[in-house]
Amino acid sequence: MTPLVLGLVIAVVTLLVLATGIPIAFGLGLVAMGFLFWADGARAIHAFADTLFAGLNDFTLVSIPMFIIMGAAVAASRAGSDLYEAMHRWLSRVPGSMVIANLGACALFAALTGSSPATCAAIGKMGIPEMRRRGYSADLATGSIAAGGTLGILIPPSITFILYGIASETSIGRLFLAGILPGLMLTALFMAWALFLAWRRGEALEDRSARVSWAARLEVLPRVVPFVLVIAAVLYSLYGGVATPSEAAGVGALACIVLVMVVYRQWRPGQLWPIFRDGMRESGMIVLIIATSILYGYMLSSLYVTQSIAQGIAEASINRWVLMALINLLLVVAGCFMPPAAIILMTTPIIAPIIANAGFDPVWFGVILTINMELGLITPPVGLNLFVINGIVPDVKLPTILKGALPFMGCMVVAILILCVFPEIATWLPDALMGPVPR
Amino acid sequence: MERFARAVAALSRASGVIGIALILVALVVICHMIFVRFVLGQSSIWQTEFVIFALIGSTFLGAPYVLLTRGHVNVDLVPLHVGDGARRVLALLAAAGGAVFALLVIWSSLDWWWEAWRFDFRTASMWRAPLWIPYASLPVGMALVLLQCIAEGWAVWTGRERPFGLPPRDGA
Repeated sequence: MTPLVLGLVIAVVTLLVLATGIPIAFGLGLVAMGFLFWADGARAIHAFADTLFAGLNDFTLVSIPMFIIMGAAVAASRAGSDLYEAMHRWLSRVPGSMVIANLGACALFAALTGSSPATCAAIGKMGIPEMRRRGYSADLATGSIAAGGTLGILIPPSITFILYGIASETSIGRLFLAGILPGLMLTALFMAWALFLAWRRGEALEDRSARVSWAARLEVLPRVVPFVLVIAAVLYSLYGGVATPSEAAGVGALACIVLVMVVYRQWRPGQLWPIFRDGMRESGMIVLIIATSILYGYMLSSLYVTQSIAQGIAEASINRWVLMALINLLLVVAGCFMPPAAIILMTTPIIAPIIANAGFDPVWFGVILTINMELGLITPPVGLNLFVINGIVPDVKLPTILKGALPFMGCMVVAILILCVFPEIATWLPDALMGPVPR
Repeated sequence: MERFARAVAALSRASGVIGIALILVALVVICHMIFVRFVLGQSSIWQTEFVIFALIGSTFLGAPYVLLTRGHVNVDLVPLHVGDGARRVLALLAAAGGAVFALLVIWSSLDWWWEAWRFDFRTASMWRAPLWIPYASLPVGMALVLLQCIAEGWAVWTGRERPFGLPPRDGA
């Protein structure tokens, strides 16, 4: 069997195993160990434990539970509704303020928590009923929040970037910076579409009845500004070599917990325990997938599958943009069925060398990959955000939410195209602040 | 068997509490390390390794609890779209696959742990931490995962639990 045929067999077996509904971490480990066993016999077994352990023996990985706890602390408090309230009060005089406040709050909350479903839940609970009360149609109200929630994995700090950075050996600091401008661009695209649609349908663009006093505007600030400052401090400490991602994340997590205790008076153990419980559940899930996907990658390269695919593509001399389009298509399709963490960890070891060979910037590709993953979060059949929104407003049916989210998927595709034409949108900020990549 | 399943669930929860505690300790130690390094201006010796091992321990010891609470993500596309009978078969296959995975890791890690313990393997750092302690989290965590998979398979087999915890299909 040539390595390429073997690769195909492995891919089919992996899909079949995962289709049973087995936890992805176990499934990947099972397939990897099965093929290593098949190739090397019983002596392959000795390598399993050491490969799993060695793969996790990396200080960078510690940033994952820390950023998750930072997000869990914020998500466990009322910070989401306060953020929404703040945006709403400050923007009340701006035409279309409802939409802008909602998407803006999504972007900010997403930056704080890095979690799409948490953002949809926190902002959606306030934002969707309010938008509908003001006369916005259900599909626009739900679709915009579903899309806004996905911004969390593009705007730093983002677990998606950490995973890609680890898997492709790209600087996480650079990736975080590279996500900022595309994140803002995508937010602006979302806002533009939502405003355009509301205007065309003649839905309430302005709300003159709601006069918000300056006292009300100032009142909400002390509860919101500290969180924004924490994010700014975490990002600042990452650059200039003050701290590694794990250290910055650790201090950020502690700061967010302290803020939740002080600002929201959630200091009883019963209120703090869930933050750590949820943090452990999520980080345990992701880190175990990291461990078994490393075993999976080890299996693929020791059977020469990875190398053969990269070589095959190099020899086929496909146009690099056709190649890029094919990779994007693959990622979008995978995103329809699997969560971002699993896709990135499974595909990056194969895709990263191909991307580098074709002369693409790995940092730029990290941004493209992440927008693809955002698409997957709102596409059926397993678009998580759609179901979260459906849970908040059960009277809006899934097809309506999907119809509302569809144009926002279009915005994401437009963003990918813009980034292909102007890669500087992603690469300018990291290059300007951290110097060009040493090659 | 009923008692076995309940005992396994209790063990998984206890293991989960250890996993959660390890994350909490890791957070405290990271902050301590930063304090030592940036405020006191001293170099940190044991903190980096300790935090990495705490994360590894939390991942493997927490795994049975995450499994118990259905926190390990899966691809539920097929289970969602088939009838109850096929769903039950899939759930049993998934539990069996998980059990085989856990068994293979246990098999591989016992030897590996035993060597580290017998020959007193230590880390290469100044701290020289004994490796058998973090190594132990693999066989222990995976043994609990194995038991949890058996308990889950049994619960689905005997109809005590719905496959994948999904509600029955409309009209099915």
